[in-house]
Parts: sequence; C-alpha cells; structure tokens
Amino acid sequence: MKPLSILFIVFTLALLGFSTYQALVVAPTEQTMGDVQRIFYYHVPSAWVAGLCFFVNFLASVAYLVKRGSNVDALAAASAEVGVVFCTIVLITGPIWARPVWGIWWTWDARLTTTLVLWLIYVSYLILRRFASGSQTQVLSAVLAIFGFVDVPIVYMSIRWFRTQHPSPVMGGGENSGLDPVMLHAFFWNLLAFTCVGIILVAARYHLQKMENQVESAHAQLALQGGAR
Amino acid sequence: MTGPVALKAAYAVTWIIELGYVRYLLGRYRRVRNEMKDLKRSS
Repeated sequence: MKPLSILFIVFTLALLGFSTYQALVVAPTEQTMGDVQRIFYYHVPSAWVAGLCFFVNFLASVAYLVKRGSNVDALAAASAEVGVVFCTIVLITGPIWARPVWGIWWTWDARLTTTLVLWLIYVSYLILRRFASGSQTQVLSAVLAIFGFVDVPIVYMSIRWFRTQHPSPVMGGGENSGLDPVMLHAFFWNLLAFTCVGIILVAARYHLQKMENQVESAHAQLALQGGAR
Repeated sequence: MTGPVALKAAYAVTWIIELGYVRYLLGRYRRVRNEMKDLKRSS
C-alpha cells in the first residue's frame, strides 16, 4: 500500500472519530425528537455517499459503453457495490429512527418506496454482474446502470414533489427549513468523514476488481495454452 | 423502542455494516492473492 493511501486512511479514521464526537456530544439536542435526532448525522451522509457512488457508477457505465475499457467497468462495479452498502445503511437506520418518532417502522410513502426501489435496482445490477456469463455481461450491466440511475433524482425530489411522511428537506427546503449552526457544523464534519470512507472503499474495491480481472485472464491464458498442447 | 436505544442501534448498525464490508473485502483480497501465487507457481 502506498504511504499516501495509508495517510488518507489514518486521516479518515481520525475524522470519523471527530465527526462522531461532534454528532453525539457537541451538537445540541433537538427539541421535539430529543437525542434520537442524532441519527440524522449518520443517516443523511450515508444517503449522500450512496447517491455519489451511483452517480460515479452512471458516469463509468456511460464511459464503458463509449470506450469499452476494463478500468471504467471495474470502477462501475466498485461504485455500485459500495453504493449498495451505504444505501443498506440508509434503509436500516431510517426505520430505526422512524419507530420512536412516527410510531411505525415503515410506510409506503414516496421517499421510502423510491429508496427501496433504488436499492433493489442496484442489487439486481450486482446479481447480474455476478451470475451472468458471456461477453455481453458488461454491456448489459452498463445499460441497466444507466436506466437505474434515473431513480436517483426521483429519490432526491420525492419529498419536494409529493406529500410524504418523511420530513421535508432540511436544507434548501423553503422558508421554515434550516439547521442550527452548531448542528450544521456537526453535519458537515460527518458528511466529509463519510465521503472519505466512501472514497477509500471504492478505491479498495476497484483495486480488487482489477486484481480479479488479472487472475481471470491468466486462467484463460493457461487454459488456452493447455488446449494448444 | 425508546430514543436512546434507537440512537445506539442506528450507530451500531452503521459500524457493523461498514466493518463487515471491510472484512468481506479483505477476505476477497486474501483469496485473489493466493490465486495469483498459485498461478505464478503453475506457470
């Protein structure tokens, strides 16, 4: 591992500790919900990283269809998998937050439903990549990724377009929206920390995908040599 | 589920999923590395 990568991992771990301290200790307690509102500092950054990963997956999939390079395909696979990990966190922490606040674990409102659909789309994408065989797998998964990405802006806009149980946007949501400056500060630290974790995971998964591709082509070469003998 | 329990559960779930994924990646790394070594030996 390169020294710069190690430095970045150490920086991210320190940042995670600091941002969690900001979320649990420094940020003031919200008046209506109490301490449970602090789930916000993990829930929203996870959603942000998931959206970012799916955007990278979209760009890499378009690039793959244009250039057919194995590197962009590896990036598409890596970003989709990490996106699903963070989307899973969103789908679990959301109901845990909802239960004490709304009195229910789940409701089929637009935000929750579109997020679940998003998760299902990218899980299908990963299943396709894992189990489909043949030369067209990468092309098919790139096409699925491009269509699947359509759901990301729908998830984002759902709380603006529809009346939902899920709260309206906290930032940029009109007159009564906004956060206490100390809460905002804690939120941005967590956003930065989660983004760094996302970058590390995508980079590690990308590297792994390239190694797996190398092994696969080496196996194919050996098989060819064996067949030629 | 009360507020403090929900808060602890949400933070724990986040860490468990992230660390679980890191462990899964490390396991795959180990497997690929071993496969690479085997390939080098056989070629």
